[in-house]
Amino acid sequence: MGRIVGIDLGTTNSLVAYVDPRTNEPKCIPGPSGSTLCPSVVSVDPDGGIIVGEPAQRRLLTQPERTIYSVKRLMGRGLADVQDELKLFPFRIDPSSKNVIRVRLGNKLFTPPEISSFILRELKKWAQDYFGEAVDRAVITVPAYFNDAQRQATKDAGKLAGLEVLRLVNEPTAAALAYGLHEKQRGRVAVYDLGGGTFDISVLKLISTAEGDIYQVLSTNGDTHLGGDDIDNLLQAFVHEQILRQHEIDFSSRSELAQQLRKAIIAIKHQLSESDSATLRFPLPNSAVFVYEFTRGAFEALIRPIVDRTMSPVKQALTDAQLKPSEIDEVVLVGGTTRTPLIRRTVQEFFDRKPHTELNPDEVVALGAAVQANILDRGVKDMLLLDVTPLSLGIETYGGAVAKIIPRNSTIPASAQELYTTGVDNQTGIDIHVLQGERELAKDCRSLARFVLKTPPAPAGLPRIEVKFLIDANGILQVAAKDMRTDEQHSIEVQPSYGISDSEIERMLEESIDYAEQDFAERQVIEARTESEAILNATAKALANPQAATLPAAERAKIDAAAAALKESVAGSDYKLIRKRIDELSHATEHLAEIVMNSAISSALEGRKVAEV
Amino acid sequence: MSAPFIATDPPLVCWSCHERSLGTHFCSSCGKLQQIPQALDYFALFELPKKLWIEMDGLEKKFLQLSWKLHPDNFVNATETERELSLKRSSELNDAYRVLRDPVARVEYLLGIEGARKEGEHKQQAPPELLEEVFELNESLDELREAKASGGDLAALKSRLEAAEKNFQSKLGEVDEQLRSIARAWDAAIDANADETARKQLMARMNESLNRRSYIRNLVTNVQKELS
Repeated sequence: MGRIVGIDLGTTNSLVAYVDPRTNEPKCIPGPSGSTLCPSVVSVDPDGGIIVGEPAQRRLLTQPERTIYSVKRLMGRGLADVQDELKLFPFRIDPSSKNVIRVRLGNKLFTPPEISSFILRELKKWAQDYFGEAVDRAVITVPAYFNDAQRQATKDAGKLAGLEVLRLVNEPTAAALAYGLHEKQRGRVAVYDLGGGTFDISVLKLISTAEGDIYQVLSTNGDTHLGGDDIDNLLQAFVHEQILRQHEIDFSSRSELAQQLRKAIIAIKHQLSESDSATLRFPLPNSAVFVYEFTRGAFEALIRPIVDRTMSPVKQALTDAQLKPSEIDEVVLVGGTTRTPLIRRTVQEFFDRKPHTELNPDEVVALGAAVQANILDRGVKDMLLLDVTPLSLGIETYGGAVAKIIPRNSTIPASAQELYTTGVDNQTGIDIHVLQGERELAKDCRSLARFVLKTPPAPAGLPRIEVKFLIDANGILQVAAKDMRTDEQHSIEVQPSYGISDSEIERMLEESIDYAEQDFAERQVIEARTESEAILNATAKALANPQAATLPAAERAKIDAAAAALKESVAGSDYKLIRKRIDELSHATEHLAEIVMNSAISSALEGRKVAEV
Repeated sequence: MSAPFIATDPPLVCWSCHERSLGTHFCSSCGKLQQIPQALDYFALFELPKKLWIEMDGLEKKFLQLSWKLHPDNFVNATETERELSLKRSSELNDAYRVLRDPVARVEYLLGIEGARKEGEHKQQAPPELLEEVFELNESLDELREAKASGGDLAALKSRLEAAEKNFQSKLGEVDEQLRSIARAWDAAIDANADETARKQLMARMNESLNRRSYIRNLVTNVQKELS
């Protein structure tokens, strides 16, 4: 089995983290550039090559038609759901899309889980390069307010990336876990998480028990389409209008220019978190320069509606937890967007309490995911997460109404049983429609699945079939049916309303034949061999140094033995063994290196003396 | 989801080591997680008598203790059978806690396991003593809908409905108090080891209160929906 990591698959940035076994502290893993943030941007080469992260982000400016960002907004959604997004985001959605969206990148079509899997694969690579070992399991975070289809899409993405997803953890809960570990907090905690594209609020109770700490989520609420992206869109629309008015240039039809402008606007937004004003200077195609000075006051007036939109979920979460703002002991801010001073002030005023911002708001969710991954990996635990389902689960009844069978904020896993029978003689099936949401009519809720419960021909009312609806610890629905008369389990083929069917996932998996693991092992062997060559050469050179003669015979023998063992291992292809032998040789030559080093230093000093004369 | 076949009929035999298992949750011989015995209702799961007053701190403590043992996190690396069992057992635990924590759901559940819960035909019918008020309310609601459609004056209608809502809210409070008082009588009957007839009478009264409550609650929700 390979290593396990925690992954924050974000709208704007994604991160991978692990728990360092020596310090027992979670840590984010840097990528090739040294940054721990991997921009959630994917670009597809004309030859089909996939580029992820910073290089893909640069291509947003040069090749926007084969590059995509904020794909998280499309996860688990159908074409009809994303019409609003399409006005604001340059997604090239294929007209063939129905309940699973297909995005065109260059001349190929991809589903959102596939695109997300490319990001996950990149993070997996970061971790594998960092560990020098394969990574095959992960805990992935999702917004707490994600519905069943969005969660399933995230799990599918993990599978497509060659990762076994041991658990989906809600982002605010993961953040609370990281903070709890860090601050040893107790009591009632509100986590306000405003990311690039999603908003969550979770209210938790942290309890110390004899066995360990329990993080019990009391309630959660949010908006899966509200985040920093919306602030950027608002600013961009504002600037577009100014440019149109002053220069009569329409940016909305110029996708490359619009991307460049967006980048400049995001920089202005970040500046306004630090200073009271910032000036946008943007060269226009007519060789004029658009100049606009934003004051923080004007900026805040512009974005206030977005900040206000976060407050009604906050109030609802408190109501559901049966708490008043004053009964919250600690408030935690998560997500890059909470760096905005207006948000900090608004939250602080509402709770009348200074919020915690000690941990890096970009990293804290990944750190929490790593903590949970570590708990699941070791099997022994000193803490337990009890999370809830964000939305009520219901079934459609007569007249298109919804009967709620598992209320929102139920601790998961949670289940409900319903008994079904037939209405007419020899009826062979009962239609069942499962929904998620708080509204009373089926048409206003989110359709999760439809299926037909098969019944043996019998007089009406005689068949008794119990259907068990179960929401698992990932917040994903499972359905099972049992014939109460025969006690037989029925198998049910549940066709998800949104999302990819199992057979389609299998096909995608086959298509993307996972060369990655094989490549990884081969690359490791090559790297280990190169490294062993270097250390063997260095050892031989050091032994040739006249000072090496002062080395005790026993030490010399040890070095020779370690070098021989290393040479032997290089003939094989077990990179772990080669690395072990490298470590042993390097350990055996510590004293030798010291002797040689000292002689080098003294001769260097001597040399200088000579030169000084 | 394919549930594994596990024998639950007495004598209780562990599915894993096939020894007789005496533990409620884990096998007393091999320590493996066990299927829940069918006779174990939510009260028994929490080792509580079938009484309606429950001390909340104790209930929470027991819930957390059991969560610690049964949660799927403990079984990530276990066999599929154990993972399925943990999912089933922990969901039952959470369902039980959700029901027992809520005073009304608790009464409903008790009536359910005692075979005394009867809803349906009475659900849509207004309790006789409320008929007049319900009639008035429905009239006001219709007027409000018409006024909304034709753009008429809403203020007066709204204030009338708000008053009606308040009235039904206070009735809801009365029903809840009534339910609490029957619940106290039920607990006393259990303590006194009262006979079947006395228990059945109390359960019938609880059932009636529950139906009344659900009727009034629907009214209040409808009014709130129109007012919002």
